[in-house]
Amino acid sequence: MNSILSRFSSTNALPANFDNEGGRQDFQDSINGAPAQFDLPGTEPARFLSQYTDVDSSNPAARIKLQHGTTTLAFRYKGGIIVCVDSRATAGSYIASGTVKKVIEINPYLLGTMAGGAADCQYWECRLHELRNKERISVAAASKYLSNIVYSYKGMGLSMGTMICGWDKTGPALFYVDSDGTRLKGDVFSVGSGSTFAYGVLDQGYHWDLTDAEAQELGRRSIYAATHRDAYSGNTINLYHVKEEGWEFIANYDAMNLHYDGPGDNVPGAPGGGYGWDVRTQGLSSKLEATEGQQTSGQGGRFADEQPLTASVQPPQA
Amino acid sequence: MSDITTLNGGSCIAFKGKNCVAIACDLRLGNQALTVACNRDKVFKITDKTYLGMTGLASDVDTLRSAFRYRLNMYRMKEEREIEPETFAHLVSSTLYEKRFGPYFIEPIIAGLNSNNEPFIAAADLIGCLNFAKDFVVTGTASDKLFGMAEGLWEPDLGPEELFESISQALLGALERDALSGWGAIVRVITPDKVIERTLQSRQD
Amino acid sequence: MECSFGITGKGYTIIASDSNAARSIVKMKTDEDKQKVLSDHLVMTYSGESGDTLQFSEYIERNLRLYGIRNHVELRPRAAASWIRAQIADSLRTRNAYQVNLLLGGFDLPTSEPALYWVDYLGTLATVPFAAHGYGAFFALSTLDRYHRPDMSLEEGLDLLRRCINELKTRFIVDLGTFKVRVVDREGVREVKL
Repeated sequence: MNSILSRFSSTNALPANFDNEGGRQDFQDSINGAPAQFDLPGTEPARFLSQYTDVDSSNPAARIKLQHGTTTLAFRYKGGIIVCVDSRATAGSYIASGTVKKVIEINPYLLGTMAGGAADCQYWECRLHELRNKERISVAAASKYLSNIVYSYKGMGLSMGTMICGWDKTGPALFYVDSDGTRLKGDVFSVGSGSTFAYGVLDQGYHWDLTDAEAQELGRRSIYAATHRDAYSGNTINLYHVKEEGWEFIANYDAMNLHYDGPGDNVPGAPGGGYGWDVRTQGLSSKLEATEGQQTSGQGGRFADEQPLTASVQPPQA
Repeated sequence: MSDITTLNGGSCIAFKGKNCVAIACDLRLGNQALTVACNRDKVFKITDKTYLGMTGLASDVDTLRSAFRYRLNMYRMKEEREIEPETFAHLVSSTLYEKRFGPYFIEPIIAGLNSNNEPFIAAADLIGCLNFAKDFVVTGTASDKLFGMAEGLWEPDLGPEELFESISQALLGALERDALSGWGAIVRVITPDKVIERTLQSRQD
Repeated sequence: MECSFGITGKGYTIIASDSNAARSIVKMKTDEDKQKVLSDHLVMTYSGESGDTLQFSEYIERNLRLYGIRNHVELRPRAAASWIRAQIADSLRTRNAYQVNLLLGGFDLPTSEPALYWVDYLGTLATVPFAAHGYGAFFALSTLDRYHRPDMSLEEGLDLLRRCINELKTRFIVDLGTFKVRVVDREGVREVKL
């Protein structure tokens, strides 16, 4: 967007017909009864928006900081779809909120995750479709609706990466939709500033034949990994499971408790103990004592048989 | 590229109490959003009764640590005694001002007891302007939040245990609202006989 | 697009770096050794501005070898890391600052512990149990957080390294090819085939 905008030289938000000299004139006219001229904010909402918000984090002088940091993930497996998200919202380095709901419950069978802005226009289309067609909207159709709506706002500065998850007559289905207009069908997605960290754990533990308990554990661990390494993700973790009968909210976990104590007792799939590296490896050490005959100091080795330089020069006797 | 002083993250706070001072810092070392290590202590021992906390660019913190160690050793050799915290604060100030037109990107705070066991705290900006506070000093990416917490929690004449409680709460509360600091915290309370050092169990996200 | 890893385990440190030498969109060489063996028990891998990397790493290598020759003892990893960091920090405020990111892996003989230091181009030094530089860090650090233990055997350590490289192959947009891997333990430095 900015590459196109930069071709325009003016950065003035006021409409072209506003004249500094004539401005006062217009105002006076409106008071004297002539038709009032409304000052329009300009006919280019995208340019207007980009002056006041740092849409792609390139405008540090912007007064409105959009909240970009997050980690969301969703993956498909034989038992349905696991959806797991964090709940932190940051404005610059200030943590604006630790209780943001990043999973949108579109209807009892469809979930949407949110990274960036909101995506609740989807709600109405789904209901309309149900009423018209007398059957539940498929995930493909729902994600296509969203993708089309979002595409019509392309270039205006929306920033959104969402995953639409549901179980329809084709089985569990997962689509990734973003504000550029991308729509991808897939098995494993993670979106947000901490997504790379989530992928690091998710990819290593994922396979189609996970049990429900293992899948939920994998979701928790992956988002925990992202909250630990990414500064802009954290606070609490919300875990959902989409099954044939609809989605189920599993639980909300505090990342601090997951680090020190794990998800708690009686949670299936969790071996117990904290997720944190220092908690998990407490008491373990990488020290390896020397056995008989092994070198224990740097002295010796290559230089052991050489004469030290200092002793080779004797001052002459006085 | 964001601000160089907030690249690595980190915050530090010091409270004055009754015949004691407390200094605390978080443990994060980051590279913008990425957390590199959770074991970076930002408070350094100057003498048995004086501690220096430095936040800002981690590289400059290490460079200055060596610079201060050198100057302190020279002082100790010349004067044959340990440096007073107030004198050390001036030493910090002049060292920073030497680089007035190409400064080190750090913000130091000094906390200690002088030879009469009177508590002393001070802070400086990156070019050495000293602030001799009567109550508390804060520095780092969470400084705005620390100001708020400290203003609410500090009281005059707190004893060592109460001081530990209030500085810990102030630090932890501020860390909850700052994305670039956290991942552990260490608190040191300096009293005339000993220094009590404790790690706090804090959020690791 | 360069990537390097360091992993410590029971009595060893693994240092791995990718082997691409690239200019703009072309891979000029795919078997480049981006590591320098600084002494009997210290290895350094470098990445960053081309030219700076080679000059700086050779300067460090030769000075540490000189130290060993003069003093008949090799510099311990902690001391070497501190000195190397100081070299970068000193050059930071000059006109041609070195823009090199390093990983230093070694074995400290007196304490029998492996040592790993993460150094970046600003002169930031971090002591860590595992580390990564480059875009690879964004993917592999969480894998390392999840599976690393300080008392892993060498085989487990190499398995963990394979996991990290596999993660990059799956998710990173650039194919980094083969990695050059060296292990430092009490016996010294040796190259290992993954």
